[in-house]
Formats: sequence, C-alpha cells, structure tokens
Amino acid sequence: MDKTPVTILTGFLGAGKTTLLNRILTEQHGLRIAVIENEFGEVGIDHELVINADEELFEMNNGCICCTVRGDLIRILGNLMKRRDKFDHILIETTGLADPGPVVQTFFVDEELRDRLSVNGVVTLVDARHIVEHLDDSDEAREQIAFADVILLNKCDLVDEEALTGLETRIRSMNALAKIHRTTNADIPIPRVLDVGGFNLDHAMEVDPHFLEPEHPFEWGGIFPVSGSTVSVVTKAAPDPSMGIAVFPVAGPEDLASAREKAVRAFSDEAASREPGSTLTADGALYEMILKPGTQSWTLKTGGASHIAIFTEHHPEELEMTIAARGTPLDVAAEESFHGHHHHDDDVTSVGLEYTGECNGKKLNDWLSTLVREKGADIFRMKGVFALKGNPDRVIFQGVHMLIDAANGGPWGTRPRHNRLVFIGRNLDRAELNSGFRSCLA
Amino acid sequence: MPRLTEIGPLQTDDHILALVWSPDGTELAVTPATGQSVLVTPDGRVAGRVDGHALGNGQPAWFDGEWWTCGFDGRIRSQNGKTLPTGRGIIEKLSTSPDGGRLAAGQGKDLLVFDNAGATDASLRGLPAAVADFAWNPSNPAEIATVGAGGARMFRLGESEPFARFDWGGASLSVAWSPDGRWLVTGDQTPSVHLYDFTRDYPLHIQGYETKVRAMAFSPDSRKLATGGSSVLTVWPCTGPSGPEGVTPVQLDGFDADVLVASFAPDGCQAATGDDTGVLLFFTFDGDQVVRRRVRRDAGISAIAWHPKDPLVAVGHNDGTMSLLVLEA
Repeated sequence: MDKTPVTILTGFLGAGKTTLLNRILTEQHGLRIAVIENEFGEVGIDHELVINADEELFEMNNGCICCTVRGDLIRILGNLMKRRDKFDHILIETTGLADPGPVVQTFFVDEELRDRLSVNGVVTLVDARHIVEHLDDSDEAREQIAFADVILLNKCDLVDEEALTGLETRIRSMNALAKIHRTTNADIPIPRVLDVGGFNLDHAMEVDPHFLEPEHPFEWGGIFPVSGSTVSVVTKAAPDPSMGIAVFPVAGPEDLASAREKAVRAFSDEAASREPGSTLTADGALYEMILKPGTQSWTLKTGGASHIAIFTEHHPEELEMTIAARGTPLDVAAEESFHGHHHHDDDVTSVGLEYTGECNGKKLNDWLSTLVREKGADIFRMKGVFALKGNPDRVIFQGVHMLIDAANGGPWGTRPRHNRLVFIGRNLDRAELNSGFRSCLA
Repeated sequence: MPRLTEIGPLQTDDHILALVWSPDGTELAVTPATGQSVLVTPDGRVAGRVDGHALGNGQPAWFDGEWWTCGFDGRIRSQNGKTLPTGRGIIEKLSTSPDGGRLAAGQGKDLLVFDNAGATDASLRGLPAAVADFAWNPSNPAEIATVGAGGARMFRLGESEPFARFDWGGASLSVAWSPDGRWLVTGDQTPSVHLYDFTRDYPLHIQGYETKVRAMAFSPDSRKLATGGSSVLTVWPCTGPSGPEGVTPVQLDGFDADVLVASFAPDGCQAATGDDTGVLLFFTFDGDQVVRRRVRRDAGISAIAWHPKDPLVAVGHNDGTMSLLVLEA
C-alpha cells in the first residue's frame, strides 16, 4: 500500500508558518494537500483544505513524557485515511510554542497510522532576526530546530550576512542533519518543503564533511623542525581572551597522529596560565596563553628535540600566529585541522558516529534499548545506517525519544559496509555514545 | 432465526460514517465520510439529500423537527438551510438530548449546547482538554459527559464545574452512557475500556483487548455491555452490585477481523455487529443461550442502526453502500 506522505510544520511564534501555509495552499503544484492547523494557531487560514483541530495530548504509558502523543491526530488522520478521495499529502502545523515531539511520536506508536502514512519530514521555520533570543530562553525553540529535517531561515532580508552565517553555524551545531534554506517571506519552491524525502543521512556529510569525525578539543596541530633550545610563539590578533596550547617533542612529521592522541589527553588536564612574555615548554602539558591585541610573544623551550608538535585550541590563522626561530618564521612540516568543539554553549547538539565493519545485531539492539530507556528524554531524534553481521542488507534506523524503529534499506551491493549513527539531543555525551557504539562492533 | 430481506443497496459518495434514524423512524440519515448525506425512508426510498460539509462530515442528529449536519468545516446546519453559531475547529458529532430539547456538539475545548431557540447558555467553554467525544445521560436530559485527554467529566447543564470526574490520564475514542444512567464507558486509544459506576463512585479499567475498542453498546435494559477490541465480541454483565468486576465475560466469535460496530435492537433481545471484512453477525440472547446468524457482506461494516420500532436494521459499509435488512419472523 502506498503511504500518504505527512509533513510536520513547526516554528516559533511569528516565524512565518502562516505565510508558508498560504503559499502551499495557493500555488499551482498539482497536489491535493490537507492542512491540519491548530485551532489556536497564530493566524487562522480560511481555506477549504484546512482542518482546524485542537491539540489533544495524551500519554501512552502512564506518564512517560516520551510517549506523549496526539489523540486528535489519530482520530482525524484515521478518518481521512478511510475516505475514498485520498489526499496527495498531509501537512500538520504545530503551534509556535509546541514541542514537535508528540506529533512525530504519534506516527511511531499508532499502528494504523504507521501502516497508512509516512512522516516525510519536519520543517521548521526560523525567524532569522529574533530566533537568537528564543534559542537562549526557550526549550521549545531549541527542540523545534533539533527535530527538523528542513530549516527555513526566514526573514533573511532583516539580517546582515555576518549574522546569518553565525546563525547558520549555531543551528548547524544543534542539528547537523537538517537542510537549511535561506528565505524571505517564506518564498521557497514548494518541493523543497514537501519532498524532503525523509531519511537522508548522507546529507550530513554534504553539509559538514567532518560531522562524523570525532570532535577534538583543539582545531589545529602542526609539526615543526627545530634546531635550538628555544623558539618563539608570536601572535598578532586576540579573537578570544585566551587559548589552550600543548607542545610535544616528536621525532618527525610522521608522528602527527600519535601526538594527536596525546594532545587529546593533555587538553583534558588543567591548564597553566601564561601571560605574553612568559615561557612555554614542549613537555606535553596544557597551557593557557593569555591573548592580548597587538604583537605578543612567548618563549617556547624545545628540550633539544629535533621536531615539536604543537596543538592549539584555535586555528593559527585566527591569531595570525607564527612559530619563529631567531625572528624567522618556521615552515610547518605537517599539519592537520580538526573538527573543534562547538562555539556556542547550546545544550542541544548533534553527535555523529561512524565505524567501518559490521555490528553485532544483538549487542546493538541491547545498547540502543538501554540507551533510550535511560537517556530517551534527552534524545530528540536518532538516525542511523547499520551493517549487521550476517545480514546482506543495510538496516535503516530512526528514533524519537524512547521510540525506535528499524527497516530494511536494501542490499549493500558493492558499497563498503559501514555503520553511521547520528543523535540530536540535549546534553549528549559524545565519549559515552562513542564507547557504547564501538562496543557493538562484531 | 428470522429471515433477512434486503432493501438496497444505496450507493453514497464515500464510506458510511453514520446511520441515524429519526425518533419516529420515518427517515434514516445516511451520512458518508464525504459528500452528500441521503435521507431514506424505511422502504428504501430516497426522501432527500443534504449537501456535504467541506473536508468531510460528522455524525448528524435529528433536532427540533429536522436533520442537522456537522463536519470538518466546523459548521452546523439544518436540512432547511438554518445554521447554528459555532467557533473554529472540526465538529465530529451532533447528539440530541434524550428529551429532544437540546443539541450538543464538541468543538475543540468547547462543548456547544443549543436549545430550541438556538441559545447556547448551557454550553461548556474552555474545558481543560479537547472534547474527543461526549454522551448524554439517557436517564437524565440535564446531564452530559465529555471525554478528552486525561479522562471523563460529567456535567449538569448550567453548571460550569463537573459534578463527577473520572481521570486516568489516557485518551478515549468514544464514550457511552448506559440507558439507566448507572454506567459510563469509554473506548480508549490504548486497547482497553474504562467504566465508571455512578452508584458506587467507582472506576473500573478493563484491559486485555487486542486493539482499540471502537465498538461499544449497552443493551436497552443496561444489563449488558458489548465491546469490540478484537475479532470476538466481548459482552460484560452490568448487573449486581459490582457489575463486570470479577466476572468472566461472554465472548462471541465468528468474525474474521476486528469488531468495529455493535448495536442492540430496541427490544434488547438481539445485537447486530460487524467487522472490517464484511462479516455481519446477529446475536439473539435468550437467557443463557446465544444464537448467532452470520451474514457475509460484500464490504466491511462501518455503521449499524436499528429502526426504533420495527424489525429493521440499516447496515452501512466502507465502500459507501447502505442496505436495509428486514428481519422477518
């Protein structure tokens, strides 16, 4: 049976949901789309295809917030699905202050709806001008972004390019999977909203090729050949008040990878503060360079090593940083940029994990079951593709809070078998998730 | 078993959502999910048609001498073009009070109650949850129950606060009040029913169903409660001080799928029931004996309505057809 696609439209008050709905209802796209609008929505739309309904939230399992679903949707959609004259698409608008979780969860828990409808995507409208203040003080605004498959960064005409870029970066750090479109007056080709295509983990790689790589507490590392006992670390810019740095003696450029592992550990230690003019040592300890505007320098003791590996919290370009010997900048022999920590302190983040090879199905099932039971309240969405030992097909996985679902994704064929898993949630512990996922490998 | 003679079928625009007889039995309102409702006489003649509501119809009611319809457009209108004032939000059902003096409709968090002059003084507005369903007390036309997220609330008209509450935290699909006023039953979104015994101020929760309980019907004497929720009809006794509590129900099989519809005949001796595949089962209750008659229909059963006086039952199907079945002795 062909399932009718459902799009969930969410967004904070004033973000432009009504404008978008009016576009969808009036444009000549050839689709018959039923819109289920909240009775107490921002602005009511009078249209023959708009159904007004009041939210009726209920809990499936005696008070479990993760299993709160929409009873009104079950009744209304059940009614629509029985009709002879079916709709091509169903669009559900949530109120601006609503957590979209219960709407998505409804399609996980109600078997009749699951059989007949498929959630095509969650579309979140964001008011580019005002969202920052909501992100700081509203759980709902953060959750609406976290749940999104598509984000329309609307009212872009009211915000300059720099602010838009910063906002996109912040949103991307919260939800690495969503496609972000910039719009004014919610003007966007309707297929970009309705034809989301549901599950597309590959998109995360298009947006951020480093997304599935482990995050590092530093953004850059480089190896320099040195000959004397000291060199200078020189900075000309101070984008932040301070910056972490760790330096290791190494044998040569080929030691960058091993030094990186040491640096990860060093950056978890307490840092010793160093004002400009003071001394750093290539001893593997973490130092906090106090940054000040203008040209500043620190003496770095190399300990007689032939090469030193330097790892810095920010990329050297940001500080106009050089390593110099007797006033001459040294050339870097090997370097690597890393996927750094997020720049914002949002509690909502994305964590992506990837491992080549195969997973043990039972271990994976046990781990995910335990994980959602214990942490489900903080996990808004999960998506994954698994290669299970003994299974020639891809296993497609998705989940919302404590509800998880897996489906056959077709044969791997000649593609390399690997496992990808993405979490979007609150206060996610990357190390713990990474460790858990790795323990499931066959 | 009586012989069945079929009148029809009548084809409508969509699957049959509701079948409602006028109180005197002279007309049957046949309401499909979308499109025109058809008024049919007991001999199968089409007596009239009523335009459908945009986006779909709700359950109609006979009130103040004419048919009133409602729908997903949030409107209430009569067959003669009169309208009643409503707000925004879908209206899934109209129901007339047992004395015929009032018409009720659930719309969002409002329970609209109209009198014969169209006044809405008795309406209940801004309830804590959307009105998923409601039911009049058959033994007291001044009492009405609503169900929504969290449970049931029982009101006396003119009072804004419920005189009784029945909270369990879940949600319901439907509610019914026993003819003697003793029991209130809800069919829930989870596979269960909740019962409330007014005489004891006592709630019961019956679990163990396989699916949501869509079919619920009290016998006219209030002694039996028939429920669906699986491919058997489960009949609970509602007699004695404890009703169904601690009692093994009668389970009647013969269906091929979930029982979706159940309705007792006015004399209480028979029940007509149907499933999603088109199995129509008549059960005749004779003391402890139950005699069944199975009729295979061409489409799933979506609505059943017994004529208020005559041995006649209307059966609606999910393919949009409706037939009248005459039960001849």
